[in-house]
Amino acid sequence: MQNYKELTIIPDLKTNIRKIKEISGNSSDVMINEFVTGNIKCALICCEGMLSTATITELILEPIVNIEKQKDSHELFHYIQNFTLMSTDRPVATEYDTLFRLIHSGFAVLVADGMNKALAFGVQGYAVRSISEPSSEGNIMGSHEGFVEVVRTNMSLIRRRIKSPELVMELFTKGDKSRTDLCLCYMKDRVPPELLKKIHNSLDNIKLESILSTGYIRPFVENGNFELFSSTGTTERPDVLCSKLIEGRIGLLIDGVPFSIIIPKLFCESFQTLDDYAFKPYYATFIRWIKYLGFLISILLPAVYTAIVIYHPELLNSTMLMLLVEAEQQAPLSILTESLFVLLMYEIIREAGIRLPKAVGGAVSIVSGLIIGDAAVDSGLISTPLLTITALAVISGFVVPELNDTMVILRIAFLVSGGIFGLFGISILACAVLVNICSTEDYGFPYTAPLSPFKSAGMDDTAIRAGFPEMQSRNFTVEEYQE
Amino acid sequence: MDKITKNQFSAMILITDAFSLFCFRGQISIKSLIGFLCGIAIQFLMSLPLVKFYSTGGNIENVGKIIQTVYFIYLLLWGGVLFSMLWKASDVIYIPYENSNGIWGKLLIAGMIAVVCLYASSTGIKAVSRSAVIAVGAGMVSLLVVVISALFNSDWDNIQNTRTTESFLTEISRGFFISGGLGNFVVFLGFTKGKYIQNTIYYFFGKLILTVAVVLSSILVAGGIMQITEFPVVTAAQLSQPFPVQRIDSLFLIIFAVFAVFAIGIQSLATAELLKKIIPKFRYLRTTSVLILMIGSAFLFSGENNGIIYIIATGIMLFVIPCVMLLKRGTAR
Repeated sequence: MQNYKELTIIPDLKTNIRKIKEISGNSSDVMINEFVTGNIKCALICCEGMLSTATITELILEPIVNIEKQKDSHELFHYIQNFTLMSTDRPVATEYDTLFRLIHSGFAVLVADGMNKALAFGVQGYAVRSISEPSSEGNIMGSHEGFVEVVRTNMSLIRRRIKSPELVMELFTKGDKSRTDLCLCYMKDRVPPELLKKIHNSLDNIKLESILSTGYIRPFVENGNFELFSSTGTTERPDVLCSKLIEGRIGLLIDGVPFSIIIPKLFCESFQTLDDYAFKPYYATFIRWIKYLGFLISILLPAVYTAIVIYHPELLNSTMLMLLVEAEQQAPLSILTESLFVLLMYEIIREAGIRLPKAVGGAVSIVSGLIIGDAAVDSGLISTPLLTITALAVISGFVVPELNDTMVILRIAFLVSGGIFGLFGISILACAVLVNICSTEDYGFPYTAPLSPFKSAGMDDTAIRAGFPEMQSRNFTVEEYQE
Repeated sequence: MDKITKNQFSAMILITDAFSLFCFRGQISIKSLIGFLCGIAIQFLMSLPLVKFYSTGGNIENVGKIIQTVYFIYLLLWGGVLFSMLWKASDVIYIPYENSNGIWGKLLIAGMIAVVCLYASSTGIKAVSRSAVIAVGAGMVSLLVVVISALFNSDWDNIQNTRTTESFLTEISRGFFISGGLGNFVVFLGFTKGKYIQNTIYYFFGKLILTVAVVLSSILVAGGIMQITEFPVVTAAQLSQPFPVQRIDSLFLIIFAVFAVFAIGIQSLATAELLKKIIPKFRYLRTTSVLILMIGSAFLFSGENNGIIYIIATGIMLFVIPCVMLLKRGTAR
């Protein structure tokens, strides 16, 4: 069979219907309703479950069957297009490719005998998850609305917050098979033109068959070098995306995914939450530094503990040293092995807790926390200080959930390095990680800005959280960081 | 061409100078400090022809292969000096596996640093310069802790009591030893944004502050035992303990390791940059070759910092060659 994407609709209804059945493989969800209106043979084609029965009955079926007799199909289409308003979204299809895209997107498509085009009516009404609180980004004082899986709903969530004509939303499809709707959002008066051009070029290079999550797209809009931290971000919150758009960034919504991609992303932004801007500046600054500290503790604490206990005990005061010696004497494993064992066990338990059904997940927590943890310490397999250190490191990681995946790997890498080469090993690895972070740059935006390259103006929302009157006067856009 | 800011430029050069200071051997006194400062002043004056050369449109790319090769050899040998310094200083700084395994331990440590340097060099000048700023910032905070601790343990009489037997001219020559970054200065000055003279003044001012802070605190803390001290800066760090029941020597180890990586990494980056200009077709394994040659040349140096050779080498590289290039250009016009 010839590739249907190259075929055009022909002015013969029977052939068109045969072709549609042939292309769809007589798929059960493609419904073809043949009828006569205005004395012309027509067919209304739609996809079961993708449209609202009430809407199609009221807006299309009732008016369309009551159309008076027409001279020919051209007259019929002219009448429908110019004298009726069956839907606000009324595209026209001339190829089968467009026709199927519309059908599968929840449009009702009208083909008529003698016409080489089809009229489509937007009557989407598929089952969707209602807007609910984001599960991955907690918030106290801000909005409790999160993105959902439907791209158009997500677009409306953004539009409700930015009612400005400068906000542009470009809708297009990608994915040869999935035909996923993507929406590029930006403020046309804020976005750096060069960035927009480069993103368009990057998106043009996507030749995927399907797009089912943000992970499919992100490698195409990042620079492709080995980067420990991702130079694009994601958010589940429309308010966060709006704040980024106003700073001149670009958002990318994907149909079927309740997350938006943010381009570009800076390292310091992982430590900012919308709540920071709801609290008093001094408290927000305090919380921000707690997060920086939490990040360092999460990555370095087990490694530094192991390195100090094995190679540099002089760093500990005598009381602490005696305490640790006593605890570690009873443990049968070396400190490095013990630390690795505890960290890997934690990761296994965490993964099990996430993947299992919620009812069983709770049981996993009880078994791991109470039984394994308690039993391991009581039996002397693991020392209490080490378990405390690991727990502290893991909990500290939760203050920056966005970086958690990278932090897990770095925590283990630093542990091995510190366990073998002491503080020297940690320092050497820290240099490599530092260089890697500093080399992360997409579209000319250094990931480490405003720290390096240093931008003093950027420090009022990095080292501290300045008050809104100060920030208002600055009118910041991300272009300030472009090199 | 990738351009760097004056902060990034100064951080890149100062990190090498700071590492040279940490590894400085022999006694130091106030006379030494004055000698070092005079050395810095002379270096600044010597660098002016180079500044003029760059300011008038000169570029290291257009100086010809012979001059590029001279600079390349200088940078390569100084890389060897840095490795030699690292090995000597690590005798008094505890690095696991290094001290107990003889030459293999030293090569293992050099190899680890070389691998990180190789990675750093592969990311390019922008990434290295950005990370150098953060490393210098973090290093300075740690150094400040050491210096403040040193002040608590200091004996102000050491300023008067500590004496060295070296002549003032020798002290100036020793000041050139702690200027390992000058080779990088020659290469990277052309990469800087803004006015070259301002960037040069900025760097030399930073170097002045760094030298005064480190040398003065070393004299204050280790002045009393200077006669038996091989590495005064390391000893001062080891003696300056802010807490009565615990030691913070290891904090200095962190600064030492980080500065060693960046000093050697930046040196190899500059050397590889020159090699690229000398033999453009030699692309693969360029930095690897440079690092292997540096480690090899480290065996040529004993780590001694007394020597007129450093003045001569620095003079040729920083003053004579830029003057010749300026004269050549003037004649050509």
